[in-house]
Amino acid sequence: MKKALCLLLAWVCLGIQISRAQGGTEEMTPVTHTYALKNVTIIQKPGQVIQKGIVVVKNGLIHAVGPNVAIPANAKVIEGDSMFVYAGFIDGLSQTGIPRPEPAQAGSGRGGQQQRPQGVERGEPSYETAGIMPQQTVREALKPGDRSIDDMRKLGFTAAQVVPNGRMLPGNGSLIMLGSGKTADDYIVKENTSLVATLTTSPGVYPATQIGVISRFEELYRQAQQLQAHTKAYAANPAGMVRPTSDRVLEAFFPVLDGKQPVYFLAPDVKSTARALALQKELGFQMIIAGVRQGWPLADQMKALNKPTFLSLDLPKAKKEDAKPAAAAGGARGGNRPGAEAAPKAEENAKPAEEAKPKDPEMEALEARRAAEMALYEGQAAAMTTKSIPFAFSAMNAKPAEIRENLRRMIKAGLTEDQALAALTTTPANIFGVSAMMGSVEKGKMANLVVTDQPYFNEKSNVRYVFVDGMMYEYEVKAAPKGNPNGSAKVGGRWSYNIAVPGQEAAGVFNFKDEGGNISGTWTSTTMPGENNMAAVTLKGNNLTFSSSIDAGGQSMTLEFDLVFEGNNFSGKVNVGSFGTFDVEGSRLGDPKN
Amino acid sequence: MKPFLSILFLLVLAWAGNAQPATGSLLIKNGTVLTVTKGTFENTDVLVVDGKIKQIGKNIRTPQGVTEIDATGKFVMPGILDAHSHIALDVVNEATRPVTSDVWVGDALDPLDISIYRALAGGVTTIHAMHGSANAIGGECETIKLRYGTYDPEDLRMQGAPRTIKFALGENPMRSHGEGNGIVPRTRMGVEQVIRRAFSEAQEYMAAKDKYNAVKATDPTALPPTFNRRMETLAEILKGNIIIHCHSYRADEILMLMNVCRDYGVKRLCFQHTNEGFKVAPELAAFGAGASVFADWWAYKFEVYYSTAYNAAIMTKNGVVTSINSDSEELIRHLYHEAAKTQRYGGLTDDEALALITINSAKQLGIDQRVGSLEVGKDGDVAIFNAHPLSVYAIPMMTIVDGIVRFDRAKDADDQRMQVDPEKAETAFFLAQEHKNADHCLEDAFDFANELFGFERE
Amino acid sequence: MKFKFGYITLFLCWAVANSLFAQVEKPVKGTFALTNATIETVTKGTLTGTLLIRDGKIAALGSNVTVPAGATVIDCQGLTLYPGMIDGGTQLGLGEVGSISLTQDADEIGDITPHMEALTAVNPNATAIPVTRVEGVTTVLSVPQNGLLPGTASLINLVGYTPDQMYAGFKGVVLNFPTAGRRGFRDQRTDEELKKETEKALKKLNDIWDQAKFYNEVAMAAQKDASMKPPYNPEMARVAQVLNGEMMLLVEVNKASDIELAIKWTQEKKVPKVAFTGVAEGWRVADQLAKAGIPVITGPVQAMPTRTSDRYDKPYSNAGLMHKAGVKVAIRTDQTENVRNLPFHAGFAAAYGLGKEQALKAVTIVPAEIFGVADKLGSLEVGKNATLFASTGDPLETKTKIMHLFIDGYQIPLDSRHIQLYHEFLNRTPGVRK
Repeated sequence: MKKALCLLLAWVCLGIQISRAQGGTEEMTPVTHTYALKNVTIIQKPGQVIQKGIVVVKNGLIHAVGPNVAIPANAKVIEGDSMFVYAGFIDGLSQTGIPRPEPAQAGSGRGGQQQRPQGVERGEPSYETAGIMPQQTVREALKPGDRSIDDMRKLGFTAAQVVPNGRMLPGNGSLIMLGSGKTADDYIVKENTSLVATLTTSPGVYPATQIGVISRFEELYRQAQQLQAHTKAYAANPAGMVRPTSDRVLEAFFPVLDGKQPVYFLAPDVKSTARALALQKELGFQMIIAGVRQGWPLADQMKALNKPTFLSLDLPKAKKEDAKPAAAAGGARGGNRPGAEAAPKAEENAKPAEEAKPKDPEMEALEARRAAEMALYEGQAAAMTTKSIPFAFSAMNAKPAEIRENLRRMIKAGLTEDQALAALTTTPANIFGVSAMMGSVEKGKMANLVVTDQPYFNEKSNVRYVFVDGMMYEYEVKAAPKGNPNGSAKVGGRWSYNIAVPGQEAAGVFNFKDEGGNISGTWTSTTMPGENNMAAVTLKGNNLTFSSSIDAGGQSMTLEFDLVFEGNNFSGKVNVGSFGTFDVEGSRLGDPKN
Repeated sequence: MKPFLSILFLLVLAWAGNAQPATGSLLIKNGTVLTVTKGTFENTDVLVVDGKIKQIGKNIRTPQGVTEIDATGKFVMPGILDAHSHIALDVVNEATRPVTSDVWVGDALDPLDISIYRALAGGVTTIHAMHGSANAIGGECETIKLRYGTYDPEDLRMQGAPRTIKFALGENPMRSHGEGNGIVPRTRMGVEQVIRRAFSEAQEYMAAKDKYNAVKATDPTALPPTFNRRMETLAEILKGNIIIHCHSYRADEILMLMNVCRDYGVKRLCFQHTNEGFKVAPELAAFGAGASVFADWWAYKFEVYYSTAYNAAIMTKNGVVTSINSDSEELIRHLYHEAAKTQRYGGLTDDEALALITINSAKQLGIDQRVGSLEVGKDGDVAIFNAHPLSVYAIPMMTIVDGIVRFDRAKDADDQRMQVDPEKAETAFFLAQEHKNADHCLEDAFDFANELFGFERE
Repeated sequence: MKFKFGYITLFLCWAVANSLFAQVEKPVKGTFALTNATIETVTKGTLTGTLLIRDGKIAALGSNVTVPAGATVIDCQGLTLYPGMIDGGTQLGLGEVGSISLTQDADEIGDITPHMEALTAVNPNATAIPVTRVEGVTTVLSVPQNGLLPGTASLINLVGYTPDQMYAGFKGVVLNFPTAGRRGFRDQRTDEELKKETEKALKKLNDIWDQAKFYNEVAMAAQKDASMKPPYNPEMARVAQVLNGEMMLLVEVNKASDIELAIKWTQEKKVPKVAFTGVAEGWRVADQLAKAGIPVITGPVQAMPTRTSDRYDKPYSNAGLMHKAGVKVAIRTDQTENVRNLPFHAGFAAAYGLGKEQALKAVTIVPAEIFGVADKLGSLEVGKNATLFASTGDPLETKTKIMHLFIDGYQIPLDSRHIQLYHEFLNRTPGVRK
């Protein structure tokens, strides 16, 4: 069950509506490294737009920007009619480029139990077992060309602060470019930008709980202070003094103690936000709260920190109805949006259009509260703006396929497009102290650009080109096949199919039964066991649609197929709910006779 | 949607960001006032101003801007204290070693726990949120006020309350470490030695620290002992700055800890559960140790088999400062009823019975100057009942913390959750088995043990 | 000399033993006249006067009772007589020490074990029995636990040296109705998993029902033709008794949607005798329960709401809300060692809407009626068993004390381990110093 879910998630969560063009330009030796984007709308930075302008990219830099600049002869010209150019986005904290740790071997029952320390060691585990690895660096952990880099790049992200895998102290953060390179070194822009801390526990050993993690953090911090003082005193005059013992873990705190490095505290919910704030108050280090999903209740305390924050790009899954009532339900509890008297409205709006069903007042009230809560998550970014807390975004724990939709939901909930853009570009550049290098489309900066066919935050816009460090990545949009209502198709029989999930194999067999125009069918997948039934199979002309609900580890998922048949081939799309829509194609297997 | 604590929420907004939790002013008029310590007065008013009781008397004039609450025909008592609770906590046990004096449950307060509201609806205003009993020396606990309606855990803390720490004797630490992990303690002998060793090491740690502090000005080569949170906390216990609250059942282990404490000069000691406290009541009284007990729980494990529901009465009559606690999200909702059981089992007077859930609990937590009775100058923590609170038919009508109404049965809406799942409307059904007697001190430890050894909770 | 001394020693030993012996009080049967009492009959109003106990029965009661010669007269001035309270769901007698599994007899291995007899495993000497009865709870249903059909519950009176002596005339087969609810907050199963498991369990249940029906048919045929006798199948034989109406089906069900389903199921299957137990969310579907006419044994009352979004007092008000809708409601504790809290559960239900009178009925005459023993138990009426107590007042009130206790006409000593420990340790000798 679990395995099936993993497999399914693996393929569905990675794709979005576009697929990378075959033979991407980075794999061939390009004729030129000079590009000119012509006739484009240039959003230089939030609020600063050049209509019908030109951007020239040369030697990895933005060579020229303006309505009327000269295009060098060796430039590859991209006709950008109706396209939009933005500065490449900067992800404030994630693990892009860091491969996931190997999961514990499946089937061994209580996974990994054998390696767990027993006896006294359980209470006094090694740093590593306890998840205390602040000395880890991205330089060691980054995997060049990791899939996750392209996943983020094709959304328009060109730089990210990333952190190694781990638990309470996973390591140092570094700012990397989301380009291409042979070694980790090629990616790194700025090293040791942060000491990352989380409240993640170590199962079965100390600290096995958050109170253990918090206590251990304080203890390490104080021990680091002692070691630093000792080391300094010894360096000044070693005579008669016991030599300090080097400790990489404690030494990793030294830049924090010196105020040269902030602690980035990962706080996915309101309680961890509060706990991070309390710890900071106790010890006084510089702190940036990151990956914030539910920060609004503590916005005042966050503001008092006088630091920017990184809001999570992960939002709770939207219900289909939410799209409408969300805005109206905003702040329905009046909790954090003073003056919002939207509670009764939310109730009205939350009523689904199912008039047929008898109304259950209890469920309606619960649904209204749920919708109101959702609105608070979606409205967090806007609320932070109202509080004048500077923020950028963090893609930690966010699914790439959902990020653009989540940004749109935040905008729908009150964030302006300019504010969203600032949080993706100028603000993070500023926070990382790299404004001179990136964050806006200005002459002399790194050529980190996002080119879209419609304004980025439009639902139907596609990213067409991404430039990272002057390197161009082209993304092709596949047009959806159009069915012909007057056409015809014989679909009965077995068909192979292939779903274009980037980098993943998602294939199998459709088996249609055509009983006098009454079509039914089943399908199998090479990655999942069992046979799945098709529902609502409808053939109009040569356009076949059907849906299928599959059970993936207890979670029900509905796949909606929309296919166009041409002879012995078909192509089309499959929608997998919030995971996105993917291209499907296939061809007939064996005898066309039913 | 019902106006969810709407007034409270405005208050929350008002104090958000401020260090001091909000206080309120109100006049409770014409009730039967059960002060617990100073007698019972009929047709009497209680005036709370800025969170403190300012006056108790007849016909108090209502100061301007102060809300009046009509308590005619009702019973007004001090807010109830629970000296042993695990609600409002995300973590109960750091069960990885027999001594965890480094951890503090105050680091994992959960202000969103619906149990806080449900406890308020039982007249409770202050609780002792405790670490669990997996370890001989557990973590520090936290005394909190039930200021439900805030997202900020800082707002829950009762500022100025003394530090307290959980110790545990008997089956639980023996099971968690001896049986579960093959390390001392597996017996009550081992439990004693774990505590003696910890205290002795803390003495050595303190001595090393003192020595360093004495010479550091003159000797630049002097080094402090490596900072150790476990030792830091233990040192504070030895200095008398932390009250020990010890999970215990059997008479022998209760005597053992008193002996150990005597040897190390530790005087501030309160036993928890203390099912066999009645057997050593004279010794408890002589030591000055408190005892916080269940009203009638017994037989859920062997060390509570020889129990009696007359425990609280026997100890009270032997001069032990005794309280009745809940250790349960369910029992905490009717501590007034639990206290009343001592009238059936041992014939305690009304004041004696009420003291078990008010002033005595406050004494055990070192906060009796602030809460636990209705006296001028104390915190405005009040519970109002429709009948005498020791009657089985009594219904808590209103609960006031620091002069702010936190529960009002007349205005109580169904759904009082602070936090809602944004993805799912319907809340999960589950049948709580909390009514089955069991101390809840092994929470988390069981999850932990379960994971490691396949222990079952029951 | 030596001989003499030995004699004296022997005599002393005998005397000491005798006096010790005398200290152990035992239940006594006889003719008792409880005079000057207020008599709360439950069914026939409140009387004053005398209640006469003879041959284990209530021989007479009221103001015109002649006390026969030889009767033990107990002056009940200032006391009130009540029928013994009945707890409609406990594990009393089936468990001794909670955490010690080998003292636990309520939960046999297997999902389908309807033939497991609670009465077999009831320990007449369980420490909790005297602890319970001295608080006025005289009769309890002892119920097997866990699994789909965990066994057969038995009603017992809390007096007797053998289970048979304790048996109070009712047995019921327990069905834990398949539930889509979670067992606790540790239960991590998804909704989908729960749904599937529930459907599977329901299918299993329906299969069993069909088999039992068939078993009945075969058994009938076997009455004419012995060769048709079905092989030993105690499970089916027991379920068949439910189908025949020989035994009541006690359906443990708590979640609202499960209750709805259980109503439908019992109606479809035409279960002749049925009561629902638990019924924690009965208030959500009270009208349907009333319409179905299924009696309910609900509790514990002192319990947590079943959902975080529920009002805090729903477990307290549940009994009252069901009663108002027209459901016949009895109250249980679902406890083992603290069944003595039954009156307090009823008291809470009374305060939160059930009312004092109905709450008392919910622990006396209503469960007696549900269990079909109202001719013997549940009220103070002539001819009924002398199972009653005299208390200082309202038995649901916390501070009320039980002063005299009779079960099946036996005068029960008001003693238990809890009381013994009280007497031994209240004024301990030696004190701190020996």
